[in-house]
Amino acid sequence: MELLDRYLQAVRKYLPLRRQDDIIAELRANMESQIEDLESELGRALTQGELDDFLRKMGHPMVVASRYQPQQYLIGPTMFPMYLYVLRLAMLWAFIVCMVVAAVVTPLTEGTGGAVVAALFRTPGILIQTAAWITLVFAAFEFARTRYPNICPQIEGLNKGWNPSTLPPIEKDSLRKGKPRSFAQAVAEIIFSVLFLGWVLLIPHYPFILLGPGVVFLKTSSYELAPVWWTFFGWIVALGIMQIVARCIDLARGTWERPSIIQHFAFKVVGLIPVLVLLAAPGHIYVSLKNSAADPAQLGKNLAEVNNAIHLGFSVVCAIVVLQLAFDIGKLVTEAYRKREVAS
Amino acid sequence: MTVAESTFENLRLELRRGCLTLAVLAQLKQEHYGYTLRKELAERGLEIDESTLYPLLRRLETQGLLASQWREEDKRNKRFYRLSPEGEEILARLLDEWNAINTSVSRILDGPTSEAAPSAETK
Repeated sequence: MELLDRYLQAVRKYLPLRRQDDIIAELRANMESQIEDLESELGRALTQGELDDFLRKMGHPMVVASRYQPQQYLIGPTMFPMYLYVLRLAMLWAFIVCMVVAAVVTPLTEGTGGAVVAALFRTPGILIQTAAWITLVFAAFEFARTRYPNICPQIEGLNKGWNPSTLPPIEKDSLRKGKPRSFAQAVAEIIFSVLFLGWVLLIPHYPFILLGPGVVFLKTSSYELAPVWWTFFGWIVALGIMQIVARCIDLARGTWERPSIIQHFAFKVVGLIPVLVLLAAPGHIYVSLKNSAADPAQLGKNLAEVNNAIHLGFSVVCAIVVLQLAFDIGKLVTEAYRKREVAS
Repeated sequence: MTVAESTFENLRLELRRGCLTLAVLAQLKQEHYGYTLRKELAERGLEIDESTLYPLLRRLETQGLLASQWREEDKRNKRFYRLSPEGEEILARLLDEWNAINTSVSRILDGPTSEAAPSAETK
């Protein structure tokens, strides 16, 4: 019976301290009775191999002991849906804040590419920390709730106080669903795109069509637009041409009813280029003095403030466009995953 | 183990879990200690592992459904269990539920019917 003693000793190690003696005594009595029955059936004592088999059938000491433990959760089934919801929300906001800091705040305060990259690399660490804190808070609440049910308020679950009329309206998938584009609409879009492009191309020759009476200010003031605007203008024209070509191709191929998702995203990504061109303007100069040598120092000071304000404005625009793009891509990936899951 | 086998095994264990509790409570209308209870259940066709039964008895006792006492029998101290008054009441309610489910499942297996009949309420 030495092996039985060793087995029970091993089980004891994994039992709760307070109940060890009681459980082991009961387990011993049951196992000894069972062994006695086996021995009386065989008419002899069990061999070492038979005892091995008997104990193996009982299970590993840790498994046997674990069955005596109460069922424990880090976060129980009542709290888990709430935990998952809060975690997703917190991760999304943490990601957005990280991206805004990396794309807007860091370039404005530190102004170096290295600082932006460092800010981007900090994002995974911040996300992990956020997840860890939320898990810790929920686990602590679960512990308190199960350990001290009389003190800790009980969660009624999500069903309590829920009202079906508060359900959100049916979501529209703007990318794929909705009314298909008619042929007339597709042709009209091309015509208006060509007209718009023509209008854009005329602006350098006739600034009046963009600025109206304000064009007088351009002529009389001491300021002029910096050369970066010509690069920006070039990209706007190129994008306009690309869009017209893509729409004509859609029309020729008979695919005008629904725009291709790849095309949709390609335009969004390429649309970022003009904004990036402005952001990368040398010295962040968007407006300069017509005659820098002759104009008074006061104008130069105002100019620096105007240029900084314009740069800040474009930084914010860029951040918003990038976040929107990231959100759209996230939605697309989620939708693709959902479709794949449904198909499988 | 294939996915189908694993799914079956999980569902089988889920199905058995509640049934075992019911069988143990029913069998403990008479006093037993762990090993004899296991033998009695096995003789009636319900095999149950030691590592499942013995902790289950503890759990049911903690829930107040069983009462236990240490007593010497055959020169060995053994812990005997029997149904507590609260356990008897719970067993009666569980048996009602069991019978209702059993009847409903039999009716479902027998084929569709339009007649309204008492059913086992799912909670």
